[in-house]
Amino acid sequence: MSFNGIVVSPGIAFGKALTMTSQMPPLDFKLLNAEQIKLQQQQLTHAIDLLISHLQHCQRHLCQECENFQLIDADIMLLEDEELQQELQLHIKQFKVCAAVAIDRIFNQQAAQLAELDDPYLANRSSDILCLAKRLISALHGHLQWDLSTLIEDTILLADDLTPAEFAILPLKHIKGIVLESGGLTSHTAILARAAGIPALLNYHFSEHHQAIKDGEPLILDAISGELHTSPTAALLSQLQQKQQQELQRRQALTAYKDKPSITLDGHSITLLANVGNLSEVSHVTDVGAQGIGLFRTEFLLMNAKALPDEQQQYKLYSEALHSLQGQVLSVRTFDIGADKEIPYLQQSPEDNPALGIRGIRYSLVHPDTFISQVKAVLRAANHGQVRLMFPMVSQIEELEGAMALIEQAKAQLIEQEKGFGELSYGIVVETPAAVFNLPSMLPLLDFVSIGTNDLTQYTLAADRTNPHLAKQYPALSPAVIELISMTIAHCKQAKVKVSLCGELGSDPQVLPLLVGLGLDEISINPTSLLEVKAALINGRYQDFVTHAQNVKRLTRIDEIRTAINTVNCN
Amino acid sequence: MYQKTVTIVAPHGIHTRPAALLVKEAKAFSCDVMVECNGKQASAKSLFKLQTLGLYQGVSVTVFATGEQAQAAVDKIASLLITLS
Repeated sequence: MSFNGIVVSPGIAFGKALTMTSQMPPLDFKLLNAEQIKLQQQQLTHAIDLLISHLQHCQRHLCQECENFQLIDADIMLLEDEELQQELQLHIKQFKVCAAVAIDRIFNQQAAQLAELDDPYLANRSSDILCLAKRLISALHGHLQWDLSTLIEDTILLADDLTPAEFAILPLKHIKGIVLESGGLTSHTAILARAAGIPALLNYHFSEHHQAIKDGEPLILDAISGELHTSPTAALLSQLQQKQQQELQRRQALTAYKDKPSITLDGHSITLLANVGNLSEVSHVTDVGAQGIGLFRTEFLLMNAKALPDEQQQYKLYSEALHSLQGQVLSVRTFDIGADKEIPYLQQSPEDNPALGIRGIRYSLVHPDTFISQVKAVLRAANHGQVRLMFPMVSQIEELEGAMALIEQAKAQLIEQEKGFGELSYGIVVETPAAVFNLPSMLPLLDFVSIGTNDLTQYTLAADRTNPHLAKQYPALSPAVIELISMTIAHCKQAKVKVSLCGELGSDPQVLPLLVGLGLDEISINPTSLLEVKAALINGRYQDFVTHAQNVKRLTRIDEIRTAINTVNCN
Repeated sequence: MYQKTVTIVAPHGIHTRPAALLVKEAKAFSCDVMVECNGKQASAKSLFKLQTLGLYQGVSVTVFATGEQAQAAVDKIASLLITLS
């Protein structure tokens, strides 16, 4: 029997299972008989040995002097501690409880004692103790919570959820595939997995569909048909290896489109740009034939950092990006902080409803210093190339005017500090229905507009983009969202302002005929999908795209639209 | 019994890493080595117990041992307590 998740990043991956569990199975407080007590005591000893040998395995790839090595040493020493082991064994026997309960109690007591210490530095160690307890309980269940930084084998990562911040520290070289219980097509983790080209399956309930998957168990992730295979047969293995080969060949064939101009068969030209989240991605976009960066998600720079990068650091970074773009455009979206993108060191106040809270431009307007230092860095970098600046989550003219006033302040500061800067083009990301309706008042201030379809869909349909139960019934390809895209394009055409689209919708080659047919000037795409989208453009006729778009616009049901998109033949 | 009292000088006290080094050294001796601080006692060979003593900067710590190599053990551990950081 097979179960399907949502494929957010296609591909086939082979690797060993690794479960990152954030939730512990509930503790079982049942009283044990003598035989069970003995068994639990043995299991405890076994789990301790298992975790120690695993930690030693991790250490082998670290130098003895580095801090990480010594901290692992301390963990090993705690596990080897005879007094601790005796206490645990005694607790199981005395209270007739299972090993997990004993670990939980003894380690919690220890953590509480440490937390009471007068010295904050020492008291902080109490969280290390709780972390070790969690790992030891996991080891009882056969899961060795790997320290991911020491990962050396090809791995398929299984987790309930993965935040963008957790994703940022993954050793991507060894992570061949990702399977999450939660998440939807446009959650940020999905976007990151796709950008990194890692096959990923979301909203896949592996804990229900499979017997407990043990760490180290060989897995095959088929993120084309959306399946995860445990203990694969030889036949299946070779079948999927073949499928992987075909996929690689298909991708190889696409490279032929890299240097071709992005023009339809009947001569209609569209600018194809790339979406990126960090500097190393910027240097790769020319490899996939992009004509520049249509969306630089600068907040991802913050997730990886320990502190907010200052103006000078950002200036260096944007300048480097421009250098590797060699004259092509760089579209910088100012920090889109808030919603599911939390930045630990910014200490955002908790909100009941962060997606409807202080995010995007709203955050920038109440934290003008952060915004101004970013704008100053971008203005200075504009001396070295063509830069567009766009503001996320702008819904009304007041926000846009507020942002533009801060830009004037940034320029005045640069003049006063005698720092040179260049000219920018200004745009907004249209991602709320209000922005679409208010666009005519804002367009006179703008050089371009970029439609952010992920949030536009979430806010139009009132459907949380991170909620996997809503992904299928509330897609971007719904009549309301298509109508809003169409309205945005019409407003822009009337005001002669360039209109672009940077949402995930643009990365689907099947949707390209609709988007081009609706009249977009530019599309910004995930680098991994760019060549596929380009092929769809080059092999089609603009006139057919327009007819197709007119047909789709007449449809009133999601399933009809889906069918029309899937069966379109504009080639 | 042999004993010695010292004062911790390390700014962050004897936190996890130095404590682990101390335990390693203590285990090299066959005799029992105890550390007393803030009215609590722990074996110098048990990181788990040692952690709860609160070996932070400025506190006074007494190390004591009986049996084989007691003096050498106490001297070693006491000197580590004032040099590790």
